[in-house]
Amino acid sequence: MTEKSILELRNITRTFPGVTALDDVSASFRAGEIHAIIGENGAGKSTMMNILAGELLPDSGTLHVNGRETMIGSPRQSQALGIRIVFQELSLCQNLTVGENVLLGPMAAQPALSHLNRNSAVRAATDVLARLGMSDVRADTPLAGLSVAQKQLVEIARAISQQVHILVLDEPNSALSKRETQRLFDMVRSLKEEGVTILYVSHHLDEVLALADRISVMRDGKLITTLDNGPDVTVDKLVTLMVGRSVNAAEQYALQCEVSDHPAETALEVRDLSVPGHIRHASFKLSKGEILGIAGLPDSGKDVLAEAIFGLLPRGGEVEIGGIRLSPGKPYHSIAAGMSLIPADRRSAGALLSMSVAENTVSAALKKFTRLGFMRGRAVKDIANRYVRELDARVASLGQKIATLSGGNQQKIILARGLITGPRVLILHEPTRGIDVGAKAEIYAILKSLAADGMAIMMISSELPEVMLHSSRVLVMADRIVMGQLTGAQITEEAIMSLATRSDQERAA
Amino acid sequence: MTENRTAASGPGETVPSPQKTWSDPPRVSLIRRLLSAKETGVFLALVVMCVFLSMSTESFLSTTNLLNVGRQVSLLGIMAIGMTFVLISGEIDLSVGSTYALAGLSTGMLIVLGWGLVPALAMGLACGAAIGLINGLLSTYGRLPSLIATLGMLSIVRGSALLLTDGRPVTVNVRNGADPAILDRFEYMGQGYLFGIIPMQLVFFIVLAILGWLLLSRTAFGFRVFAVGGSEKAARVSGIHVPTVKIWSFVIMGILAAAAGILSLAFLPSGQAGRTGLGLELDVIAAVVVGGASLAGGVGTILGTVFGVLIIGVLRNGLVLLGVSPFTQEVMIGLVIIVAVAIDKWSSTRRST
Repeated sequence: MTEKSILELRNITRTFPGVTALDDVSASFRAGEIHAIIGENGAGKSTMMNILAGELLPDSGTLHVNGRETMIGSPRQSQALGIRIVFQELSLCQNLTVGENVLLGPMAAQPALSHLNRNSAVRAATDVLARLGMSDVRADTPLAGLSVAQKQLVEIARAISQQVHILVLDEPNSALSKRETQRLFDMVRSLKEEGVTILYVSHHLDEVLALADRISVMRDGKLITTLDNGPDVTVDKLVTLMVGRSVNAAEQYALQCEVSDHPAETALEVRDLSVPGHIRHASFKLSKGEILGIAGLPDSGKDVLAEAIFGLLPRGGEVEIGGIRLSPGKPYHSIAAGMSLIPADRRSAGALLSMSVAENTVSAALKKFTRLGFMRGRAVKDIANRYVRELDARVASLGQKIATLSGGNQQKIILARGLITGPRVLILHEPTRGIDVGAKAEIYAILKSLAADGMAIMMISSELPEVMLHSSRVLVMADRIVMGQLTGAQITEEAIMSLATRSDQERAA
Repeated sequence: MTENRTAASGPGETVPSPQKTWSDPPRVSLIRRLLSAKETGVFLALVVMCVFLSMSTESFLSTTNLLNVGRQVSLLGIMAIGMTFVLISGEIDLSVGSTYALAGLSTGMLIVLGWGLVPALAMGLACGAAIGLINGLLSTYGRLPSLIATLGMLSIVRGSALLLTDGRPVTVNVRNGADPAILDRFEYMGQGYLFGIIPMQLVFFIVLAILGWLLLSRTAFGFRVFAVGGSEKAARVSGIHVPTVKIWSFVIMGILAAAAGILSLAFLPSGQAGRTGLGLELDVIAAVVVGGASLAGGVGTILGTVFGVLIIGVLRNGLVLLGVSPFTQEVMIGLVIIVAVAIDKWSSTRRST
């Protein structure tokens, strides 16, 4: 590997009102290396990426590309320098075809009145898609019909469709299955062989260790250190650097639930649940005081389970809670019967982003906190205060807009909103997606204590460790059915993956 | 497919799995493509209306009447082409009725003042372009929602027209001082016929629709409009300068609104700042939305817009031929707008699930 740095940040500082997002950060990236950037949420990773993307300008400090001082003032300049950024949040045009999305840049870069050659674009896009193993997706079909995982791959395809010198990937595999992730890693390694510099931002430390040549750790807007990846670098070490205090990984995950001693009193019963195209005949029970984990690959059907049970999706079959049968299409009925849902997508489905912490907290139980239609300010404040304290959410004030909180604290407020209705059954979908390690551990602890108080909790998650370590029982979904159930010592990664991939293997045979 | 993927999923392997060749996507049959085209719904609605009217009235299907309908919808149509660009780019323009009045009246006044035809037309169109530019700047760099920016401009431009004309009607004729030769050519644009049969207004509409269609669906600019309307972030990340695309859409809209206003004065040939083009913006938006464009941006076609314009035109004409009272006509047109968009919406949600 050459020592020559292709991109260098020197003393970059960027502040926002009240926050120093980047504090005198200097970093150097070498040509042809895979350089991981890790850090808790709010550590400054995304500000750094936005500066590279030309979306933000630094307050002070300089950028050097190939040794020359360069200003990246717009996304176009960033592109022109060969920098491509794949943001975690998808930025695709739903109204265009797959191929048009892949080749958005070059197609749009032509002179205004030049003729668009769509056929050659389809062909070029097909080649790029093939590199990512997406030969089953036709370039001339509308993007809107693709799954989230496929869209994520399209986003990556767009980044590599043109000459790229520096590729920045932000949690690029959050929606991908193991196999797709593997394919992505292969592609990243082959780009590296071609001399491309890859900045890889991820919360998955084991992936980082498997992939990266060097690892930079950020904390509180500062770049703490850059390590050469090697056998002496471990997950524990990285976590310690990220959190700034020694957190033993074992201790961190020691919150594992022992199998509940509660006599199995059924809190929720699902019989023969079907959602056309997603779930076929799923039946299971959820008992008081247990944490039931639901695992599965992206297309297994697990991702619609929460919404189907809660009544947000049309469904067949029966859902019963404490003997009351819930009607589909009536989420308010489910809430009244004692069910709460913490949805997966915080930004669009979970939080009322433009509203305050207090308003978000009480929004699920407005009736309790209004008199003749007017908000009872005192009562709202009291209850919000109580939950903020109990869940240890770090907020500046109850009037703070929830959009300005970190992911972990947002999730706690949403959890508070779910709890305020006094549910007997709590359903969480991806409860810790995009949340830093510290806040994760706190949320697990909250869930555990809720379960200990007798709440029935169902946790649907794509993160295996989460499901494995914090559930007393795990259902694995695959191919739109509940493929199997694991309890106690049976819950291992191998067992879950073998169930999750079962039908796939059968079909391949 | 599964075998392909497993074959190449070993770590470190970069050998591409065997691929089918996609270079020649299988040809979908013409009928299938026609049936699945976005415009099919509006087109069928139009056909049903025409069939009904040709059976229930005697005069509907005559060449004269059809050309008459064509002329009647032309000005609406010309503006709707511009509005298609604006809506697809994710914006809206409420100022077009006022632009229509100001550009038409100022061109008329210049001709009365003795200006040549070309300079007078150029001034009128430039006036529309300038209004479009202001709309565009306010909605992009000014960071105002275009609904508000153009609502303000609606009033400002209408007021400017009133100030300019002092509220009095502008009539372009020889008595007021227009040069007879220039007046002849001016009036030909609005009242004349190509080959003695096709109204000139309709000719302008057809030519502009073809140009608009080429620009929107065949050029890189049109592609940018779709990309910006689909996802501003994606467009930005791909190096598209979003404000430029939006501003150009507004400018195109402004020029076309001015063109329609000028043609209207050439047809009448008299107008009054307090009345000309009042409320026209809503007809234009309705026609484009009936034609399948989405107010949320990213979706729409010129062909669909043309059908939408024709639906409104044919409906108005048919209701007159059927002897329906003007009051009832208004109600009927409102109903058709709601039903047309509802059908499109319901059928598209079914398609996507």
